[in-house]
Amino acid sequence: MAYTLQYGQVTPYLGYLAGGAWLALQLAAIAFVIGWAIGLVCASVLEYGPRPLRWLVKAYVVFFLNTPLLVQIFFLYFALPDWGIVLGSYQAVLLGMAINAGAYLTEIQRAGFRSIRKAEIEAAETLGFSRIQIIRYVVLPHIGKVLFPPLSNQYIILTMTTSIAAIFGVEELTGRTYNINAQTFRSFEIFSIAALYYIALTLVASGALYAVGRYFFRIKGKVF
Amino acid sequence: MASLIEEAPRFFGYYNLIFLGQAFAYTALLSLVGCGLGFLVGFGLAVLRNERIVGFAPLRWFATIYVEIFRRIPFLVKLMVVFFAFQLAGFDASMFAVAATTVALSASAFSAENIRAGLESVHRNQWDAAETMNMGGLTALRRVILPQAWAIIIPPSMTYSVGLVKSTSIASQIGVVELTYAAKILNQKGFSAAICFGTILILYFILCYPLNLFASHLERRLAPSRHR
Repeated sequence: MAYTLQYGQVTPYLGYLAGGAWLALQLAAIAFVIGWAIGLVCASVLEYGPRPLRWLVKAYVVFFLNTPLLVQIFFLYFALPDWGIVLGSYQAVLLGMAINAGAYLTEIQRAGFRSIRKAEIEAAETLGFSRIQIIRYVVLPHIGKVLFPPLSNQYIILTMTTSIAAIFGVEELTGRTYNINAQTFRSFEIFSIAALYYIALTLVASGALYAVGRYFFRIKGKVF
Repeated sequence: MASLIEEAPRFFGYYNLIFLGQAFAYTALLSLVGCGLGFLVGFGLAVLRNERIVGFAPLRWFATIYVEIFRRIPFLVKLMVVFFAFQLAGFDASMFAVAATTVALSASAFSAENIRAGLESVHRNQWDAAETMNMGGLTALRRVILPQAWAIIIPPSMTYSVGLVKSTSIASQIGVVELTYAAKILNQKGFSAAICFGTILILYFILCYPLNLFASHLERRLAPSRHR
């Protein structure tokens, strides 16, 4: 190999990259919360809503699950201005990620609704539980246990997805990596370091979510 | 809306249609090559990770670390790392090869997980029984375990492959002329963004939706029996 790796030249930028990682985490968290809300509403509509609305939600979910997020954001960012809606790059990425995550989270949360059996609630009623007690002691623990693993999985995926924001010029982890690359031209070095950042980020997130799941929902099982 | 209808005949002209068709085929080919290679490597990794077959622990650790690393790097960053790694190593690889390698790396890590889960879903008594019949690890895998495990392996692998088809859109970043890049080119030629990106959204949908339907059909069809 005729090339010597020069990691020394990119080490001054590690702090700058860490800031980008923080931004990526924020982006993922905001997109996740909005997507979760969308998913909750849509899943409720799918289970209990009137038929035309159900079809609409189904079309939304199917369309967004089967097209790439990148192109969805391209559409939001470049096509919406033709109709007078101008989004900044950060807003476009956030909106795209939230709508996309909403489709996935609809599917996941619907499965959670489905997992509660009528007999469980009837049993709780027979035992004289009040409505709030039923939700607190029967429904929530059950839904939490079923939903927590796929939800945390989705959050990890969302954290990695934030890298797409770099394509639109948002300066999160990958965006900052592009910047450093343009300044130092130590391309392989800086991108491999960015990769390590993502590994660390998602490992920490996985570990934390595992601990939360174990403590609050008594989920046993392996993280890795 | 009116302007869209106005430019539609021009946009769907003969040469543009051929261009989009080629890009569509390129996306499909990239996904197929990447996922195929990735599945093979992933299968190897899953076998390496299985303690019934591989007695040598460091090999199992290697497989675990490989999977954990490549599962946790975003596609875009992986693409860049592979791109510059090819450059460093002095290969004059085509952009298609770089993109296909990236898809294969992602696919290998994820399918290794799927295949491992499938292999572990077979009851351990089956391994013991095979051992009693004096079968080696690989023979047991081929004749006893795989016939029971593949029904659990195939559906999630297909679903994940659809995810990778969608990820190939990111390969447009290094200039592979697949659907997304084709849309960007057409957009720069002066067609409105709405018609360019709208069209390829529909094309991606045409590619992914049947695959997803097939995957969920298989899932229902191959659902393992509850009694073991």
